[in-house]
Amino acid sequence: MNLLTVVTFVPLAGALFAVLLPRDEPGQHRALALAVSLITLGLSLFLWFGFDAAAGAAEFQFEEQRAWMPSLGIGYHVGLDGVALLLVMLTTLLVPVVVLSTWKAVEDRVKEFMIAILVLETAMIGTFAALDLVLFYVFWELMLIPMYLLIGIWGSQNRLYATVKFFVYTFAASVLMLLAILFVSFNDGGTFDYVQARAALNVTTAQGRWLFLAFALAFAVKVPMFPLHTWLPDAHTEAPTAGSVILAGVLLKMGTFGFFRYAMPLFPEAALYFRPHLATLATVGIVYGALMCFVQTDMKRLVAYSSVSHLGFVMLGLMAISAEGLTGSVYQMLNHGVSTGGLFLLVGMLYERRHTRLLSEYGGVAKQMPWLATAFVVVTLSSIGLPGTNGFVGEFLILSGTFLSRLPNGQVLTVVASTGVILGAVYMLVLVEKVFYGPIRKEENRHLPDLSLREGLVIAPVIVFIVVMGLMPAPFLAPAKPAVDRLVQRFQQAEARLGLPSRVGTVPTAVAARPPLPPGGAY
Amino acid sequence: MPFLPTPAAAEASLWAIILFPLAGALINGLFGRRIGKGNATLVAIGAMVGSLVIAAIAFYWVLTTRNLRFQGTPWIAVTGADGQSLVHVAWGLLLDRLSGTLLLVITGVGTLIHVYSASYMSHEDDAGYARFFTYLNLFVAAMLTLVLGDSLLLTFVGWEGVGLCSYLLIGFWYTDEQKAFAGRKAFVTNRVGDFGFLLGVFALLALFGTTSYAELANLARVITPEATIASGLFAGWTWQGAITFAMLCLFVGAAGKSAQLPLYIWLPDAMAGPTPVSALIHAATMVTAGVYLVARNSMLFTLAPAAMATVTIVGAATALFAAVIAFTQNDIKKVLAYSTVSQLGFMFIGVGCGAWWAGVLHLVIHAFFKGCLFLGAGSVMHGMGDETDIRKMGGLAGKMPHTHWTFLVATISATGILPLAGFWSKDAILGYSLFSSNPAWHLVGPIAYGIGSLAALGTAFYMTRLYWLTFQGKPRTHAAEHAHESSFAMTVPLMVLAVLAAVGLLLGLPGSSPVSELFAHYVEPVFAPGTERLYAVGHFHAGAHPAWPYFAAWFIAVGGTVIGLLMYGRGWLKLPAALAGALPRTYRLMVDKFRVDELYEAAIIGPLKSLARGLWRVVDVFLIDGLMVNGVARLVGFFGSVGRLAQDGDIQRYAGFMALAAAAILATVLGVGGL
Repeated sequence: MNLLTVVTFVPLAGALFAVLLPRDEPGQHRALALAVSLITLGLSLFLWFGFDAAAGAAEFQFEEQRAWMPSLGIGYHVGLDGVALLLVMLTTLLVPVVVLSTWKAVEDRVKEFMIAILVLETAMIGTFAALDLVLFYVFWELMLIPMYLLIGIWGSQNRLYATVKFFVYTFAASVLMLLAILFVSFNDGGTFDYVQARAALNVTTAQGRWLFLAFALAFAVKVPMFPLHTWLPDAHTEAPTAGSVILAGVLLKMGTFGFFRYAMPLFPEAALYFRPHLATLATVGIVYGALMCFVQTDMKRLVAYSSVSHLGFVMLGLMAISAEGLTGSVYQMLNHGVSTGGLFLLVGMLYERRHTRLLSEYGGVAKQMPWLATAFVVVTLSSIGLPGTNGFVGEFLILSGTFLSRLPNGQVLTVVASTGVILGAVYMLVLVEKVFYGPIRKEENRHLPDLSLREGLVIAPVIVFIVVMGLMPAPFLAPAKPAVDRLVQRFQQAEARLGLPSRVGTVPTAVAARPPLPPGGAY
Repeated sequence: MPFLPTPAAAEASLWAIILFPLAGALINGLFGRRIGKGNATLVAIGAMVGSLVIAAIAFYWVLTTRNLRFQGTPWIAVTGADGQSLVHVAWGLLLDRLSGTLLLVITGVGTLIHVYSASYMSHEDDAGYARFFTYLNLFVAAMLTLVLGDSLLLTFVGWEGVGLCSYLLIGFWYTDEQKAFAGRKAFVTNRVGDFGFLLGVFALLALFGTTSYAELANLARVITPEATIASGLFAGWTWQGAITFAMLCLFVGAAGKSAQLPLYIWLPDAMAGPTPVSALIHAATMVTAGVYLVARNSMLFTLAPAAMATVTIVGAATALFAAVIAFTQNDIKKVLAYSTVSQLGFMFIGVGCGAWWAGVLHLVIHAFFKGCLFLGAGSVMHGMGDETDIRKMGGLAGKMPHTHWTFLVATISATGILPLAGFWSKDAILGYSLFSSNPAWHLVGPIAYGIGSLAALGTAFYMTRLYWLTFQGKPRTHAAEHAHESSFAMTVPLMVLAVLAAVGLLLGLPGSSPVSELFAHYVEPVFAPGTERLYAVGHFHAGAHPAWPYFAAWFIAVGGTVIGLLMYGRGWLKLPAALAGALPRTYRLMVDKFRVDELYEAAIIGPLKSLARGLWRVVDVFLIDGLMVNGVARLVGFFGSVGRLAQDGDIQRYAGFMALAAAAILATVLGVGGL
């Protein structure tokens, strides 16, 4: 059997098995979910080590293609390029962490909760793996259902408003994408296969632009890009910790991944046309999201708005269409999954202790919980992109990649986006200060337990990845390279077709030749 | 020397200099609270000594044979589809005579301050004590990365790393909100500078496609400044213009880290940290990183005269501005903090006017005397029960003899009175500045000389005031009467630094004898290419400088000291109060540090906060959520409620609708058919 298919459906099989177990023994469900997600992680490691990132290797690996509804041109076609591989690994890594983090937090309907998480994992992996437009759409919408339940059933007070908002926002945009998918199949010889469609698609310029917009809208809501972001703070705030972590860690990446995999390569001409506008919106999002963080009084809402800012960086790097910018964006998708996922885990731990998300309820708790405070500061540093953490590598590549790109006004956008680095330091350090520093003002905060062993296990992988990805990014950058190069070349071909001056790729340097260094280390 | 490892071995173990303190930080961070204070001290100081020994060996080879380079493995490297690789950074280290100098200062002064801290911080509980040494070791590791890194980007790793440690150490006593805030203020202000640093790096990447110092210097050597750039982002600019842009961006970073106008505001507040931190980070090492950055890129700065002029004039303005604020401060650490800002200004005059060696020498000597002054202030605070107000001191000379004489030596050195070290470095800076002629602005050197001389006068005045109010006269409070001398762990580092602050003069003697300008000759290989260019473009003129500026400087220092003595020692004792009384508003303004913090609050921070609040209320809550999202939902709801009327189960209405509909159909069919 195909390894990728196995990895995709093991969580679903686990969920089906969980259906058979009695609901009044929650321990079994927790153990089962943890075991299944760990097995999935173990299996996905074979994907990681089996992937060939050489330039000449196949674009999609671990491919499987089967007929599904041949009369309609719909097939079961899955495969991974390097970017999808990285995101699948992020998913399989985060899910066991999330399951472990809910050990005590979820007491109610554990069976259903774990089933929802496992179904969600299959849907997420499937979305990254799909190479058929209909299959992609099926997985894409399948993600909505468990997420809807997670927020709606296990969320906090205002959860119904948040779920409906989340569902309608994303679903409405996705339906337009479905229409676009249908339109694509009418104009590519009747197939829904992504690889064939990408090669055979034949639409007019105007049609291409409308199709791009339909796809882009669905993805932009998911990212979320300014001004389509307002579902996110509500969804994050009301979701249980596990929901927030998966939402921030993986689901938001679906939007940026969608741009990278579908909207940009399927309609490169249209993408070039809309690129300056999207880049501007992304930059506005960076600054706007950061400013929104200044006025939040709720920890989760603050972190949610910081996601708007961080994902703005990812979108800016994508629109730069230079090797550095695109690679940085891919890296930043992983970083955001790790560090914002980590932030939500830590905020969840604080919530379990004090049952409030309000900043004003905390203050001075570093003394009681030194390890939790340390972990929080480390994750904060990653979030504000301190060199030595993963965040810096991503931000630096995105900003330098945009500055060095041929994007119109790329340098101005870089300067504006770089102010996000300053603002990010402000709001994150204010968060740390309000929660952990200062005198203890609330009596309830005097006796809070520090990290338990289980919580330590939950947060340890996050810390390890923050440091490892900060100091040794090469293994995580390498798989992305072939996919990034192909995308840049695709845009170069599109420009050649249109007869446009080159606006993609990296600028040449001012010095033409480099004289050799004088020998003997003289300087 | 046979017992030393070979240069190649020293080269291979360069990273060990950084890894020793890093390992110390890791051990103390993870286990420090459990192993007890003794072991934590052992780990922290042991790591420093290990680092110092390797640094000394490596330095020996740099001094006697050649530069040491460690070719590291790649860190961040991205290659485009066309094979072009602009972002390509490796973990490489470079030890030449410039970084070697700072290496010795960091490990040497760092070790002394670790020893001092072991006693100073002994009142902390185990967890706090271990945390302190974790941060302090981590700081040293980051500072060494900053200095040893062989590329701008690796320097940036250390650059932000020291910023982080500074943040953690300023806010070390984080239960005090003000201290936590001071830490954040330092970090954020530095981030503003780092924003400039990053843009400078981007510009250099666009120009040269590298951030490696060796490659940058090598490429800079063959550039014609007037030539126009043909390709890339800066096409159409002259090389001089493009490099000026990049250097000005880098200088924004330097001004943030080295507390220059207008980004100096964080440093005085940084005194919230424990005093050894003020000595190590906020006087001797971290704050001088900006000076190092300019000196390190001397080759590029010589191509950008306008950038050099900016560095010079900003340095001069800061030197005077901070000195004036120091006149009226009453907190012993605040006086020293403004003094540091002012002295950093002198260093920038030096590196800005092309006297790189003098700027760096002043950096070294300042590390000695200011380190000594801060540690002395810590010793005073220790003896006075954490009192920092100099109005409540007085007469401590007899109570704390060791602290007193070391403080006195350092004061004279800082004042710049012959023959102590501060005189030579400061006056070399002013002398070179007077005789420089920057092509972009010929008068900037002489102007800086004038402003700098005034600042030197101010330095002599406020240092004398500080010394006299603290140590001489009669004790003015109960605590001052009962002050006690500190332990040897604290006074021995003071003595070492005081001796260094005195004998440092040997490095900078003027003239043309074999022992004169030792330091200048020693660092010459680093700066020679830049200096040659400065002579070529007429920035400097060959020939010996007249000696009168040295005499003038000496008179200025003595004059400032005499005024200080008269006003606070004997003679014009009523003058300070009379002055304050005569000019109450001016005096208030000076005591309030010219209210620059308040200006920033009103001009930048306040508006930004209002903007954020306004945007949130108007755009997010009202426009997007209120009007669009919930508005659409309400609209749908409204249509639903209208449509619902047709299906509310009222049979009569149903019948009515059916009748109407039937009539309409009938009319249509018949009517249309009939026509």
